[in-house]
Amino acid sequence: MNPWPWWRKLGHASLLLLVTVYCLFPIYFMLVQSLKSAHEDVFGNPFIVLHPTFENFQELFEQRGEVHGFVGRTLRRSYPFLDWLENTIIVFAGAVAITLVASVMAAYALGRLQPPGFRWWRRVIFASYVIPHTLLFVPLYQVILTLHLEDNLLALLLIYPTLALPFCVWMLSAYFQRLPREIEESALVEGASRTRAFFTIILPMSRPVVVAAGIFALGAIASDFTLASVFLLDTHNQTIPAGLATMEVALDELLAVAGINLMSIPVVLICAVFARGYVRGLTAAMVEGA
Amino acid sequence: MPATTSLAGVPRPGGSRSARRRDVALAYALLSPALALLVLVLAYPLAWEVWVSLTDLSPLKDGPSFVGLENYRRFLEDPEFWRTVLITVGFATATCGAKLAIGVGFALVLARPFRGRALVFLAVFLPWAYPASVSVIGWYWTLSPPLPTAYSVFMGTLKYAVDSAFGTGAWAFLSVTLFNIWRGSSFIGIFLLAGLNAVPPELFECALLESKSAWQRFWHVTVPLLKPFLALAVFLSLTTAFADLANVWMLTAGRIIFPVIGTHAYWLAIKSGQFGPASALALILVPFLLAALFALFRTFDAPETERA
Repeated sequence: MNPWPWWRKLGHASLLLLVTVYCLFPIYFMLVQSLKSAHEDVFGNPFIVLHPTFENFQELFEQRGEVHGFVGRTLRRSYPFLDWLENTIIVFAGAVAITLVASVMAAYALGRLQPPGFRWWRRVIFASYVIPHTLLFVPLYQVILTLHLEDNLLALLLIYPTLALPFCVWMLSAYFQRLPREIEESALVEGASRTRAFFTIILPMSRPVVVAAGIFALGAIASDFTLASVFLLDTHNQTIPAGLATMEVALDELLAVAGINLMSIPVVLICAVFARGYVRGLTAAMVEGA
Repeated sequence: MPATTSLAGVPRPGGSRSARRRDVALAYALLSPALALLVLVLAYPLAWEVWVSLTDLSPLKDGPSFVGLENYRRFLEDPEFWRTVLITVGFATATCGAKLAIGVGFALVLARPFRGRALVFLAVFLPWAYPASVSVIGWYWTLSPPLPTAYSVFMGTLKYAVDSAFGTGAWAFLSVTLFNIWRGSSFIGIFLLAGLNAVPPELFECALLESKSAWQRFWHVTVPLLKPFLALAVFLSLTTAFADLANVWMLTAGRIIFPVIGTHAYWLAIKSGQFGPASALALILVPFLLAALFALFRTFDAPETERA
């Protein structure tokens, strides 16, 4: 390709700059707020932090959630942030794992074993996305009460997988369906069991697609806020999104922003590590194969 | 479908017909955990909601009585309902259009190699990766700041300007709309990039020689190739478009007073205890979404003929 003239280079560079700023500015802004002292938050420049401090983060970790307002130096409550962090890790890791196992199993069934009407099974599973989540938590509460899971992290482990499952099943089964039959054939001819063929041949091959499904699941699960705040009531039982929603933002604004960052940074790092794999997996699921 | 070949196309001991039967049984066994989750969490609650939408269930009365389609019928005569529908459709169209336009732009920018591409790619990926459950909290409180911050005055002025032009609550609504576009355009951009990556480069080179302008190339080559990805992305963003509004509605205890169907249903159920009409309202869009989905299935379902 011919080298671009200078004005095209400049145009391209400014477009890239615009894209980057548009995407990163809100994230940058929240990061800056969380590093501010209360003094700087009120009197400083909103876009930069001159004297970065970790006091908001420290304060989050020192609190135990035993103080319920009207105590101490101000009206401020304290929040059991460490509990929230622990709950969030358990729920997210567990829900992503359940999603992946259930959807790989279902996708293998639909894509490779192809029971009668497998296309319709897949469509019906995918169509569950049209169900509005609006009032669903009312009857869902009956289910949770029947199972004696009220105010229990297990309830979320049950509910969260359904946020991502339909798309993951769709993606994985489309990929499995397109894989050539010959791939398993040789192993089956040599007398290997189907299970063995799956774990030694199919699963390693489909790693990018499984990674993509996992990242999608993490993204879908990490965006829920309503379900967590409806089903987790006790302050020590909450996940970070549910807990942050109970904070008095007018009083603890900096603390809340620090909490937002603490939750986001690990999720963002995981996603960033697998970002390329995510794109590769999506491509593979939709197009590649036989 | 000849039943004489097993999946692998290999005749197996024990007769292929029984092998096939075993495969089908195994398939159902493997499907069951996913189906169990969906039935427990979605199908049963949905059935309950459909039933309630046909009654006048309310915690304020004793014993629901069956009212048939009365709840639905009453909505059709209610001008407030039509206003809600208008706002809902407007919100969905505006956010979807903006997300698609920006997302396609992202994908096209990232499709060609250039220096620093990995970094720009990461930047585009982050709005979606940043957990929406907490970023919506941050976003909302940034645009409608609590009392004591340096930018409160500026944001306050902006808020009153917007609110006085479009009515109370417009700024809150707008801020959620912007958030939805910000996050959604990242998802669609990355999704379409995956689609573009699948297109063999020779096809684009061919198009480069054949077509007159970049615009033509875009409409006649890129868009048709991306069709399955576009359809899937539009559908996923449509079904999730209202989650952010619902989140902020819950977060601020109903301070979003521009009602869309979802938040209006919350209002009816939680604030006034009318579960029947609320369920009817929540369900009223489902047939339309379902119809749209089945039209879209044609474009993104795997094209091979059925085989077993």
